[in-house]
Amino acid sequence: MIGRKKSRKRHTAEWISIVALALLAAPAQGGRVVTDQTGRRVMVPEHPSRLVSLAPSITETLFLLGAGDQVVGNTDYCEYPPEAQSKPHVGSILSPSLEKIVALRPDLVLGSPEANRRETADRLEQLGIPLYGVTARSVDEMLASIADLGRLLRREAEAKRLVSELKQRIDAVSRRVAHRPPPRVLFVVWYRPLTTAGARTFVSDVIRRAGGKSISEGLEGEWPKLGLEEALRLDPDVILFPRSESFAPGLEEFRSLPGWRNLRAVKARRMFVISDAIIRSSPRLVDALEEVARILHPESAR
Amino acid sequence: MRLPTTRRNALILTGALAVGLLVVSLCALALGSVPLSLGDVWEGLRGSAKGTDQAVIVREIRLPRILLAILVGAALATSGTALQALLRNPLAEPYVLGISSGAALGAIVALWIGGRIAPASPLAAFLGALATTTWVYFLGRRGGRLASYTLVLAGVVTASFLSAAILFVLTMLSTRDVRGMAFWLMGDLSVVTEAQLRMLFPLVVLGFAALYAFSKDLNVLLLGEEEAAHLGVNVTRVQTVVYLLASLLTGIAVALSGAIGYLGLLVPHLARMIVGSDHRMLLPTAALGGSIVLVLSDTVARTVVAPNELPVGAVTAVAGAPVFIYLLRRTAG
Repeated sequence: MIGRKKSRKRHTAEWISIVALALLAAPAQGGRVVTDQTGRRVMVPEHPSRLVSLAPSITETLFLLGAGDQVVGNTDYCEYPPEAQSKPHVGSILSPSLEKIVALRPDLVLGSPEANRRETADRLEQLGIPLYGVTARSVDEMLASIADLGRLLRREAEAKRLVSELKQRIDAVSRRVAHRPPPRVLFVVWYRPLTTAGARTFVSDVIRRAGGKSISEGLEGEWPKLGLEEALRLDPDVILFPRSESFAPGLEEFRSLPGWRNLRAVKARRMFVISDAIIRSSPRLVDALEEVARILHPESAR
Repeated sequence: MRLPTTRRNALILTGALAVGLLVVSLCALALGSVPLSLGDVWEGLRGSAKGTDQAVIVREIRLPRILLAILVGAALATSGTALQALLRNPLAEPYVLGISSGAALGAIVALWIGGRIAPASPLAAFLGALATTTWVYFLGRRGGRLASYTLVLAGVVTASFLSAAILFVLTMLSTRDVRGMAFWLMGDLSVVTEAQLRMLFPLVVLGFAALYAFSKDLNVLLLGEEEAAHLGVNVTRVQTVVYLLASLLTGIAVALSGAIGYLGLLVPHLARMIVGSDHRMLLPTAALGGSIVLVLSDTVARTVVAPNELPVGAVTAVAGAPVFIYLLRRTAG
């Protein structure tokens, strides 16, 4: 349901559900029909007060907007900020428990097409629980998403403050890295098969803004695979790995892996494990931006 | 300890299994990541407490799932029983014959071409199952009759070819679609609409009734094709119709639930241990047994890592493989 393409039938079904919801909800507490970040029209409460977040990035944003108290449920993976861990969990991102969500009595569920399954969205719609889609594919879209959530939750002032603070930090980074030659970067989402970030992801955007150039920028798709031969041909200056529990080999082990050990960046030990904030489109993306900028341009940090 | 086949025993056993299914389903309605009492379940079912959380959980979330498990479990077990008798091969089951792989490929291709996972994919899955069934049927014919071993081999090879094709299409899909698909491929009962249930119910009942009408022919076929022909059974006709019916039953089940393995293989064997190989008793026992096993498996899938959920196919496979090995050792020794 969070999908971008919609058939006419879909639209009709949506409208029917909106009308039905309006009939049900309007006399009780009132609501408004808004367009969410994925282009769907959703009936949301005037002042959403019981929120369930289905993605860690959304949870982080809600807490930074000061709406942490209104979060009544989130996922097993919502670890940041630490207070989020003590909220009731509704399960994993891919298979949350619908009955747990129902039992938490949310007046609004927030999910993301990048994180959740379509089936989850479809089932929520069938149950008449409003779902607000949140999406961002670049740093600018992340900022726009915060402002949008501010309007949705009636927290415009907090959102404005947060966005302007983030913008200052982003601008500071661009000033520091301006006019410096961009190192060529390989971002490794997974090493076997070698999977990287495509052009239209916030990862590539962060690398660009941090004064680097992603070697996979020309690749189609969000998380394209890159042949090791191609990686050798492009021979990046720096290799970045997001921090992850399941990451199999340590950085040193790449020095003995055939193919990998022939990469210039591996020989020169220009490999870095960075915060996993870079693969979450939350405000912490700016933390990742600053970290990548320090790695790519260490001389500018001083 | 096999029960002798009498009308009375058949009725008693069927009745007992039906009561068993009812009890298991009621318990399944009470179990889940949100604990409910049997009283809550009763009120939810009666609709006396409409709109409460308990009622929504019972009626909108757990009930459709359990009904789907009952129908799919019965369809897969019935289909497996009929195919094992038809091909006189204890390994025959809908999945070995490639039917589920065909359904999966159909659904995946529909997704690849640009459809959404629901509601277009049940139709695409069904068409995939139908195409595979027809293809394997023609490959498995020798001199106008279905040749058991040829058919099984044709099914196995077709299944592995289709699996390769599935992997190919999966690499072409976007990450988001792959995640949904991976769940579906492992069997997922969590998404079903009332309209789909209403369509599935008569199809499963009709499919079962049609296969049941062939019970005596299946009994005779167990003696061998020549013998059956001497006893006046039109072997070619029985083979064709039973094979198509069993495949269709599997096709519609897979279309709505994804690939749930081991059920169609194991439940018939378990049922045969209890009632022997008279299909007049075996088919109803297997059907009800299949429902019970799948409702139990899905309840485990919903509760064992709650509030997370496992794909139900993972549960049936993890439980099914050891049981199958146990049966194998028992009958071999």
